[in-house]
Amino acid sequence: MFNHLPTKRRNVLRALVAGGIAFFVAPFAYAIEQFVSFQGALGGNKTAKLSAAELTPDSPSKLVEVEGEPVIVVREADNQIRAFTATCTHLGCIVSFKPQMPGFYCKCHSGRYDANGVNIPGTRPKSPLTELLVKQNADDLEISLTPKGTGSASS
Amino acid sequence: MNDLIDALHLREPVEAIRSKVVPRHRSSVWYYLGGFALFLFGVQIATGVLLLLYYQPTPEAANQSVELIMKRVPFGSLVRSLHSRSSNALIAVVFLHMFSTFFMKSYRKPREIMWLTGVILLLLMLGFGFTGYLLPWDLTAYFATRIGTEVPGMLPIVGEAIVGLLRGARSVSGATLSRLFALHVAVLPLITIVIAGAHVTMTALFGSSVPPGAKITSQTKFLPRYVLGEAILWLCGLAVLLTVAVLHPWELGPAYDMTKPVEPPAGVHPEWYFMFLYQTLKYIPEWAAVGLYTVVLVFWSLVPWLDRKAKQGERSPLFTWIGIILIAGMLVLTTLAYLSVSNEVAGQLPSFGSQATSEPFPLHQPAVDRDTTLRSKGK
Repeated sequence: MFNHLPTKRRNVLRALVAGGIAFFVAPFAYAIEQFVSFQGALGGNKTAKLSAAELTPDSPSKLVEVEGEPVIVVREADNQIRAFTATCTHLGCIVSFKPQMPGFYCKCHSGRYDANGVNIPGTRPKSPLTELLVKQNADDLEISLTPKGTGSASS
Repeated sequence: MNDLIDALHLREPVEAIRSKVVPRHRSSVWYYLGGFALFLFGVQIATGVLLLLYYQPTPEAANQSVELIMKRVPFGSLVRSLHSRSSNALIAVVFLHMFSTFFMKSYRKPREIMWLTGVILLLLMLGFGFTGYLLPWDLTAYFATRIGTEVPGMLPIVGEAIVGLLRGARSVSGATLSRLFALHVAVLPLITIVIAGAHVTMTALFGSSVPPGAKITSQTKFLPRYVLGEAILWLCGLAVLLTVAVLHPWELGPAYDMTKPVEPPAGVHPEWYFMFLYQTLKYIPEWAAVGLYTVVLVFWSLVPWLDRKAKQGERSPLFTWIGIILIAGMLVLTTLAYLSVSNEVAGQLPSFGSQATSEPFPLHQPAVDRDTTLRSKGK
């Protein structure tokens, strides 16, 4: 375009056209970026509620959902109840509880974590599972995505 | 750039487009409508793909997911309203494009197949409108689709089979939603892209048709002059659509719950482009209406072969009159349909047990108090 004009004038005009197109496209690009980046669609429950009686010596762990995330609740040998994010930190599989280790095992790529959710060196995961706060009232358990040791750790 | 063109053996088509000219005469302004329809179809694809990111095609989730788009997703209301408004604009433009090419007798040799693909594209656009209407799964959508899927049943022999195929169940249900969704986002777009591709390619091959008797005053180079003119129309159209979409977001009625059937809202009726058909069904038996429009459609498709005078490059006033009568008929039927709907809503016709509202044109029904409706029915 503008090939019939002197070089300088041609370049100025071309820059103006390019700038105009960019000025026009930018708000659309912004709106589309905002539209596709929305994360609130998953839904799910803010907290998971279950009874401690559901965790028996025969099946000492249970997977529950909090805000669409899998969470594993376990009863340890000393009857202490703990909850961890169940998403393997390696590539996102869901881990299972192995009371005999004791610890967590991911069957997708043989990842291992100890009973505190800390990844065992030499296996694929490079970071630990996050332990979550468990609010316990007699047998009633309530778990949110609040990490243990932060927030309202008073209960 | 030139090397790439040569490597792809595209020298000839590229040269053809570079040297393409568009004739100018008193009717040449109508040429812009085809490109405008193409642009609006592009808007439909872009907004449609965006809506697919959040829409969920099940009776339980559909209405809720549209509500999520409208209320929580950033710019969601704009995207959905643009999709709905632009679909109406697209159908209007396609109708205008069809009638303008009809009156210019653009269908005559060598463009017979182009006309035929155009008729198919019109039907596809109406199909998009019909299948998309159910997707929000609100009361109006549900009842309009109950009625709409009943109509093909009037066709002899194949009617029942078509109804069964569309509904996938005895009545409009989750299976219907899945099927109309599949048609709307997969089947119809694929067919449309092929047919529209052929339609546009033929424009490039044959050039613009000059109506018999028109005097060519000058020629416009397709690149860049004509395309820039087209771009002005596209941008103006987009500006109008954006304004309407922002100021008047497309409404969403209450979800239809299949486990709790309710009466249809007063004055339930289809979108404006189906209103002539809706009104026809009031005057003549359903089988006759379906038969009549089938005959009209077959005649309309065969116009390039039937209009002998235009074929020989002569004026053909008979076909001009046929077009005028057809448009007049559609306009009269549409007007009558809107009058009867507004009468029904105003309660001037017996409307057994349903609440009369003062709204003249409830295109999109407000929430109906289901309990009141059911109680007054039970009395």
